[in-house]
Amino acid sequence: MERFVDLAVSAILLAGLYATMAYGLGLIYGVLRVVNLAHGGVIMAGAYLGWVLHGSLGIDPYLSIPLVVLLSFGLGMAMYRVLVRHLPRGAAGGPASLLLLFGVWLVLRNVAYLLFTGNDQAIRTSYSTRSLLVLGTHVSVNRLAVLVIALVTPALLQLLLRHSHVGRAIRAVAQNADSCTLVGVDVERIYTLTFGIGTALAGLAGLLSATIFSFNPGFGSGELLKSFVVVVLGGLGSVLGTGVAALVLAVVEVFAILVLPSYLTSAVGFVMLVLVLVFRPGGLFGHRVLG
Amino acid sequence: MARRPAPLRRALAALAGLALLSAPAARAAEPTRVHLGATLPLTGAEARVGGFFKEGYELAVEEVNKAGGLQVGARKLPVALTLLDDTSTQATAVSLADRLVNSDKVDFLLGTYASHLIEAQSTVGEQNKVPYVNGGGGATKIYKRGFKYLFGTIAPVELLGTTLMQWIDVQQKAGRLPRPAKIALVWENTAHGKDFKKGISDFVAQSGGAYTIAVDESFALDGKDFGALLGKVKAAGVDLFLADAHLPDYITMHRQYVAAGLCHKVVSYGARGSEKAAIEALGQENVNYVLSGVWWSPQLGQKPGPAQDFVKLFQGKYPGRQPEWFQALAYESARALFAAISQAGSLDREAVRQRLSGLEMRSLLPGGTLRFPANLGNQAQNAFVVQQNLPDRTSPIVFPPDAATGTAVAANPRCAK
Repeated sequence: MERFVDLAVSAILLAGLYATMAYGLGLIYGVLRVVNLAHGGVIMAGAYLGWVLHGSLGIDPYLSIPLVVLLSFGLGMAMYRVLVRHLPRGAAGGPASLLLLFGVWLVLRNVAYLLFTGNDQAIRTSYSTRSLLVLGTHVSVNRLAVLVIALVTPALLQLLLRHSHVGRAIRAVAQNADSCTLVGVDVERIYTLTFGIGTALAGLAGLLSATIFSFNPGFGSGELLKSFVVVVLGGLGSVLGTGVAALVLAVVEVFAILVLPSYLTSAVGFVMLVLVLVFRPGGLFGHRVLG
Repeated sequence: MARRPAPLRRALAALAGLALLSAPAARAAEPTRVHLGATLPLTGAEARVGGFFKEGYELAVEEVNKAGGLQVGARKLPVALTLLDDTSTQATAVSLADRLVNSDKVDFLLGTYASHLIEAQSTVGEQNKVPYVNGGGGATKIYKRGFKYLFGTIAPVELLGTTLMQWIDVQQKAGRLPRPAKIALVWENTAHGKDFKKGISDFVAQSGGAYTIAVDESFALDGKDFGALLGKVKAAGVDLFLADAHLPDYITMHRQYVAAGLCHKVVSYGARGSEKAAIEALGQENVNYVLSGVWWSPQLGQKPGPAQDFVKLFQGKYPGRQPEWFQALAYESARALFAAISQAGSLDREAVRQRLSGLEMRSLLPGGTLRFPANLGNQAQNAFVVQQNLPDRTSPIVFPPDAATGTAVAANPRCAK
């Protein structure tokens, strides 16, 4: 029983991390139909931003969340205005956007190599290795904080999408951008804001990851892959689905250790991805909350 | 006087003409320098260590050139090093090595860094019959391919596991550790990890029941969560926690290890433990008494000898810095090649290969002698040095005894708290 509780707690905490990483990717795809390959690069940039703010200015990583989110939001808006908006819309823009955003990722990575070298870095605070006793099992304070943020983030996102003018406009554009143009919605502005919000969420994920893992300029590729799995499992464009899919993935990966060698547990997620794409291409939950 | 027959006269004249023509050519073919080629991962994932290897190679070349050049036969020749960036990728490492041999016409090759790059790149040396000396590929499988031109100054990772177990055995025999002791063996699923596991497992198998492996688990690189794995370790109630991990996984795993309230009488992450980056990321109090095994430590330079000479040379060029094993092994690889060239007395690749095969050189590596045993694929077998992090922020060498600079602490006092 104790082992089961340990694994369950571990799965829930891991789900928090996966969800945080995937929200931004899901949102951008849901509205713009663009697979943001620069997501991994922004996660890496968010980690470095938090590290610089902590190391140079002594700002606690959790207190630096507003600043990192704001800066990432600005980076996302700039990326959209300068680069992404010039891409052709619809299916024709698919390969072009993949190439463009992959290029952005490479640029971000190499800028980080230039600025910070390839050394591994980590954010260490007084509570980095502190834990709380929950249900008889030790729970890392950092991972608990990430879980709380992972729960609060979709709630705030849902509030924004459902109860604000901008949110309603985002949902409307996600459904039919042409109709929105006809009724006077500034679609380009909505796209810019959405890309900014998605990028801000990636920056937040990077900052939170940096409180748990060490990182270098190559950081973000594994995170991008996991985000893909979560977003596809949850149904492309579904914010709540993303959260639930993160939990499903984490539970499967963590409990797989009971029957599989540890090194194979992370492959379980990819097997699930293939199965879902074959049998439920719309994702486990089959509908889009945004749409 | 009888005249020589005309055909003979013509033949002699032709020979004389050939001799006249070939004399300047022979003079031009005489080497004016020793041209070495190498690629290193100066950008990309391995850029940090690639930079360290560059320092080691350059130091060795500068040293020999400052002494007037390398003794080759009766002459001293300057050494030139053509160094290219392989961007940490296998394909580039192979194609650039091919360019160095066939386009730049280097005489010999020095190796790049990281086992997977060396495994791929060393085929170029073998195919072109060019001696290839490296200090960055520790995986034993690289040396099990029957290559004749590949030489490694870096001891196999298997020996790391063996050396750690030898230290543990000393502690157990002194009554500081339980007998039998239960081990959790946790290793990354790479050639590095597999070699580490083999070193530990072989020792345990020959220990006559002094040790049992209760947990034997591998994990994928760059893990995001070790909670389930550590839960298994916790449930097994082991005495010794022996892991093999690269730096990022060491930091992630040990953070979770500490947060989970785990403590074992011996804790090791293989080659990881004493790095400044890890101590900064984890906190000194959390890494105290962690053991690590490394190929070389600057502490070996506390006694007179090649290690001390190297430390002085390094600090002469880089004041305020301590060399790490990366620079030391790169430097030693170049030195081994220089020694073989001097002994061969020529730049003939086959002659130099033979000299490398039979080389026995005074070395800065633990044990003090470098050789490339042919029966082990020309991979050096120098022992590792075991270091232990102590609360006074030092990490003295605690094993082997002839290299020790401090006294070991066992069992882990943190567990008593």
